[in-house]
Amino acid sequence: MTAFSIQPFIEAVHDSRERLAALASRGRKVLGYFCTYTPIEFIHAAGFVPVRILGGGTPIEQAASLTPTFICPYLRQALERALRGEYGFLSGVVQGYTCDVACGLINIWELNVPGDLYHTVPLPYQDSPDARKYFRQALRELGERLADIGGRVTDASLAASLDLYGNIRRRSLDLYRLRSQGRLALSAAELLSVVQAGLVTPPEDYLPMLEAFVEAAEARPQASERGVPVLVSGSVIDQPWVLEVIEASGARVVGDDLCTGLRAFSPPTGRGGDPTDRLMDRHFRRFPCPARMKAQERAPLLVDLAKGSRAEGVIFLIQKFCTPHLADLPVVMEALEAAGVRGLTVEMEETGLNEGQLRTRVESFLEMLGD
Amino acid sequence: MEKAKKSYKRLRSAKELNRVVAEFYLECHEAKARGKPVGWMPPMNGVIEIFYAMDLQPVFPENWSPVCAAFGLAPRNFEVSAGMGFSRDLCGYLRNIVGYVYGPMNEEGTPLGGLPEPDLIISAYGGCVPAMKILHTLERRFPEAKVHTSELPQVGYEKIRPYHLDYCVSETHRLIEWLTETTGRKLDYDRLKEVVRLSDRACELWDEIMSYRRFIPTPISAAELGVMFVMVTRQGTQVAVDFLTGLRDEVKERAEKGIGMIEEEKLRLFWDNIPMWYNMGLFNYFEKMGGVVVAETYSAAWSMRLDPDKPIESLARKSLVSYPMVSCTSIKKRRDMVLKACRDFHIDGAVLHSNKSCVPITLGQMDMKRALEEELGIPSVVIDGDHMDANNFSVAQFQTRADAFMEMLLEKKGLTP
Ligand code: SF4
Ligand code: SF4
Repeated sequence: MTAFSIQPFIEAVHDSRERLAALASRGRKVLGYFCTYTPIEFIHAAGFVPVRILGGGTPIEQAASLTPTFICPYLRQALERALRGEYGFLSGVVQGYTCDVACGLINIWELNVPGDLYHTVPLPYQDSPDARKYFRQALRELGERLADIGGRVTDASLAASLDLYGNIRRRSLDLYRLRSQGRLALSAAELLSVVQAGLVTPPEDYLPMLEAFVEAAEARPQASERGVPVLVSGSVIDQPWVLEVIEASGARVVGDDLCTGLRAFSPPTGRGGDPTDRLMDRHFRRFPCPARMKAQERAPLLVDLAKGSRAEGVIFLIQKFCTPHLADLPVVMEALEAAGVRGLTVEMEETGLNEGQLRTRVESFLEMLGD
Repeated sequence: MEKAKKSYKRLRSAKELNRVVAEFYLECHEAKARGKPVGWMPPMNGVIEIFYAMDLQPVFPENWSPVCAAFGLAPRNFEVSAGMGFSRDLCGYLRNIVGYVYGPMNEEGTPLGGLPEPDLIISAYGGCVPAMKILHTLERRFPEAKVHTSELPQVGYEKIRPYHLDYCVSETHRLIEWLTETTGRKLDYDRLKEVVRLSDRACELWDEIMSYRRFIPTPISAAELGVMFVMVTRQGTQVAVDFLTGLRDEVKERAEKGIGMIEEEKLRLFWDNIPMWYNMGLFNYFEKMGGVVVAETYSAAWSMRLDPDKPIESLARKSLVSYPMVSCTSIKKRRDMVLKACRDFHIDGAVLHSNKSCVPITLGQMDMKRALEEELGIPSVVIDGDHMDANNFSVAQFQTRADAFMEMLLEKKGLTP
């Protein structure tokens, strides 16, 4: 039996640059993406490796002359990394249109970082036969663009990629389930590291790692019921220590609404006659990001998620200046409060979070929940 | 805050504009009183023409924000939205209109009578995130209003393909069906063609007016940008065509007679991004050193043509291109447009407003700055500001930077202040 250890995942994240660079130098193209709404199965089906671009808390120097200070730290840091050459293994960036900053950033990236393919897929929001007809053509266009750089998507390759990612998502949800049942001795930060490895590892390599890990975890139930149950909600968290501080302050993260978390997995697959249908179906049934849905429609889903995970409070970890999340906050807070769940907002700034301050704020929030 | 002094040579049409603005809001209130359906909608797309063709009353909440800024209502509205939990980092249009409708909306003394409440809301997915979130938030404030949610592909101008347009066409049909069902009014296609013809005529006049900016001195400057009100609220009506015809005649006459905005036009400037609506006099600040803001990015939004014989396709196309032309979906296209304007209008220097309230327009500005410098040798200066919130703008910093910039430009041209 495989040992129950998150070490391989931490290493996968740590060594990802070298591994991906080696892969790229052997001729396998690697394409970056910002947002989990990007149809990564399509990129993979073309024969490429989709890799999620992360900011990693990089201090801003070169990106300062290309971007204003009032955009989210995540993308500013990502651009900084690219300008420093840390993303030299990428053949380009492909993304789905989700927010204005991501859309602007890919265009700035294209003008300043050499690459073969820069493409934004304009994603539909509401499901309808016309929207699907449109989406199918947008995917066909993506296929053509991928073909321009030597990729080839077929029904068979797309079906295989959908199955592969479907399995990864299912296994990830298994981990979530075990953890929320108190059967997995894994901190939220550790779980994030496991997830993060999946964002930067070729899926065919990641799946066996994940499967072995879940198997080991299932065989070795361990309760971890300490701390006040909370849900964390936000966009990208690329620095696991933030979750560490939250749990060290007396909380237990029992669920999340993050795009480096549940939103990347739920639901694992879509239904449909052909592979493209399956991909589109999943797109429309995803657990929504605020950039993709009206706050008033999303709020009840978040309330259900919080209630379902028995969270007593929700901690919003928001990238500073992030319009979709900030604009939804008042509506979502109101809905949560009406359901008896309280919320705390923490904004993540470019200079990082002050650990001491975060701890104090979380502690007093937890105290308030106890009252 | 100290405001820069008003330009002394305003256009006749600028006064005329005040009448057009007052009449528009009067019409909105009368429509409400008479029971004509009033619909709130996002700005700059083909919905407006459909409304006029179906004899429905369009109202533009986003356009109300500049009015609030000009009349000094914005700070109070910001307090209201902040009190509701809307972050001060959000776009000022959103913070303002939300504060306005959730605050003491239309209380006694509100300029122009305020906004009549909506019977219909055309909500949206598409354009920028703040614009969508504005409409979504307004829906909650007016639960009695009937809501239709339209979609627009967010695609760069130069990347538009037939399938994007097809989707817009089907969305336009869906909107028309919904309006017909909801209001019981039928769309007469001949009437629509006529409205589209008027809309096209307005665009044609718009381009013609803008083209007179190639004259030295320029007969019209960015300080007169308020005239875009007719493009935002009146496109597809005779009112717009009449107003623009008058403006065209006046601008043409001035161009031919060599009448400029100031005594001696020494520096011709370009303005990127939305103006500070609470301080439009800023454009005139450059005058003290002989500078005139000849052109700006925003005016490109109406530089297009519509085909009256294909009204639906034309309107779908209009909806599709308006946002990309002024946003970060098409940084390359926008850069090319700015370079072309700077060439055509003999620009000496560019003022780039780094606008905290509008990320989509601000992103890509630095690449534009570099292209201006490298390809045309045109220097530029960055001004930190906000088109709605005066708190994010320092007049002193603006003046220091503008002064130094103009001195440099004058020196470059071998002129003295
Ligand atoms: S959704 Fe928010 S955090 Fe994500 S890229 Fe956009 S602005 Fe940044
Ligand atoms: S385009 Fe800019 S100013 Fe207009 S709503 Fe969007 S963010 Fe605000």
